[in-house]
Amino acid sequence: MSTFDASTLIYVIQIVIGGLLVGIGVHFVPVGGAPAAMAQATGVGTGTVQLATGSGLTGLISAGLMMSVTDNILLIVLSGAVGAMIMMDVTMIVGNWVYIYGVGVPPVAAKVDYDPITKDPQPPYISPGTVGHGVPTVSFVSGTIGGLMGGAGGSLIYYALMNINGVSGLSAFFAIGIFVVNAVIASYNIQGTIEGFHDPKFKRIPRAVKACFIATLIIGIFAVLIHGGA
Amino acid sequence: MSVAAGGGASKIDKTKLTMYGLGGGILGIYLAHVLNMITGTGYFSFLAGLGAIAAVLMGADAVRRVCAYGIGTGVPSIGMMAMGMGLVAAMFGLAVAGVAGPIIGIAIAMGFGYFVGMLANKIIKMNIPVMEEVLMSLGGAGAMVIIALSVVISGQIGYQDMLKDVIFTGYIAIVFIAGALAILQPFNANLGPDETQDRTLVLAISTGGLAMFAAGIASLVTVGVGGAVLTMLIAAVIWLKAFLWYFKLVKRDSAGVIGTGLLHEGGL
Repeated sequence: MSTFDASTLIYVIQIVIGGLLVGIGVHFVPVGGAPAAMAQATGVGTGTVQLATGSGLTGLISAGLMMSVTDNILLIVLSGAVGAMIMMDVTMIVGNWVYIYGVGVPPVAAKVDYDPITKDPQPPYISPGTVGHGVPTVSFVSGTIGGLMGGAGGSLIYYALMNINGVSGLSAFFAIGIFVVNAVIASYNIQGTIEGFHDPKFKRIPRAVKACFIATLIIGIFAVLIHGGA
Repeated sequence: MSVAAGGGASKIDKTKLTMYGLGGGILGIYLAHVLNMITGTGYFSFLAGLGAIAAVLMGADAVRRVCAYGIGTGVPSIGMMAMGMGLVAAMFGLAVAGVAGPIIGIAIAMGFGYFVGMLANKIIKMNIPVMEEVLMSLGGAGAMVIIALSVVISGQIGYQDMLKDVIFTGYIAIVFIAGALAILQPFNANLGPDETQDRTLVLAISTGGLAMFAAGIASLVTVGVGGAVLTMLIAAVIWLKAFLWYFKLVKRDSAGVIGTGLLHEGGL
C-alpha cells in the first residue's frame, strides 16, 4: 500500500475536482436518449454514459499523449479538454447532418422560445408531437463546454493517478471507472435527458455536485492507495 | 422519461441468487488460483471463467430488479457504473490484500455500491426503494467479474502477475467492456412488459460465456495454449447450450403473440 502523505492528499483533491468537473460537464451535454434517436427530442440520440465515455476516452488519449512528452499539468489537462471537445463536436455535427439531411428536420430547442445565442425563435420549427429535434446552436455550444469540462476532469484524474502508480493502463482505467460513476450519477440527476445549459433541469446541478463530491472522495481515497507494483 | 421497463415476477429469490453468485464467483476464482498453483499449469483457469458467469448472473438479476423501476438513463448506464466501482475496488483489494484480495475487493465494491445507491436516493432523490441493495449487488458483481476474468487471463490472483498479464498487455480493456456487456445486455435485450426472469438469466449465462470466451482468447499468450483452448472450448459449449436454451424460451414466451390476420377493408 502506498503511504498517505501531503502529496497524496493533493492527488485526492485533484481527483475530486476531476470528478466534479465530469459531473457538472454532463449537465452541459445535450443528451436526447432514445426519443432523440427517433428525432423526437432535442439532443444527440444516445445515452449520457455513451456520450460522456466517448468524449472522455478521447480526452484521455490526448492527455496521455501529452503526458508522454511533458509533465506540465496545465498542458495535459488542456490537451485532454481539447480532445474531448473535438470528439463531442464531431458527434454533435455528424448527428446534426443525419437529422437535417437524413431525417429532414431543423435543429430546434423545445425548452426555450428563443435560442439564447442566436435569438432565433424556436416554437415554429418544432414538429407537432415532438419536443424538439437535432442539436441547435445553444445546445451545440453547451455540449462543447460539457466536452471541455469532462475532458479536463478525466485528464486531471488520469494525471493524479499517473503520478501515484505510474502505470498508464491502470491509471487510464481507474480514470474511466471514476469518470463513469460520476457521469452516471449526473445522468440520474437529469433523468437521462437534457438540452443544455438553457434547460430548466440544469438548475439541479447543486444536487449532482454534492453527490459527485462525496462519491469521488470515497472512491478516490481507495484509488490513490493502489500502487503500481514498483 | 419515466416509463417503467416492466418485468415479470421473480421465480428465483434475489437473496438466493446473490448467495449463489457470490459463492460461485469466489469459489471459481480461488479454485482456479489454487489448482493452477498446485499443478503448476494454466489448465484450471476456466474455473475462474465459470465464477465469472455466476457473478454475471447475480449482476444481471440486480439490473433487472432496478431497471424495472425505469431509471430514465437506459440500462447500459447502470452496468457501466457497476464496472467502474468494481474496477477500483477490485484492484485495491488485489494490491493491498494479496491472496485475500478478491474477497476484500468484492466487499469494498459492495460498500461503494451501497454508498452510491444511498447518494442516488438521498441527494439526487431518485426514490427507488431497491437502489442501495441493487447497487450493492451490482458493485460486488462488477468487481467479481473483473477479478474472475483477470484470473482467467493471468492464471492466478497475485497482483504483480495481474499487472503484467492484464494491465500492461491492455487486456483490461477487454475485461472491462466484455464484463460490462455481459451484465447489462441480458435485461437490455429482454426488457418490456413480457420480460421473464428465467429468459433474462439464461441470456446472462450466454453473455457470460461470451465474456469467458473473450478472456480465453486473451489468455492464449499469458497462461499458454493448453489452458486457453480449454477455457475457450468450455466457454463455447456454455454459450451454445445457453443460446439454444434462450431461443427455446423466446419461442415459449412469444407464444402469447397471436396473428390477427389481414386488416379488413376500412380497418385502418
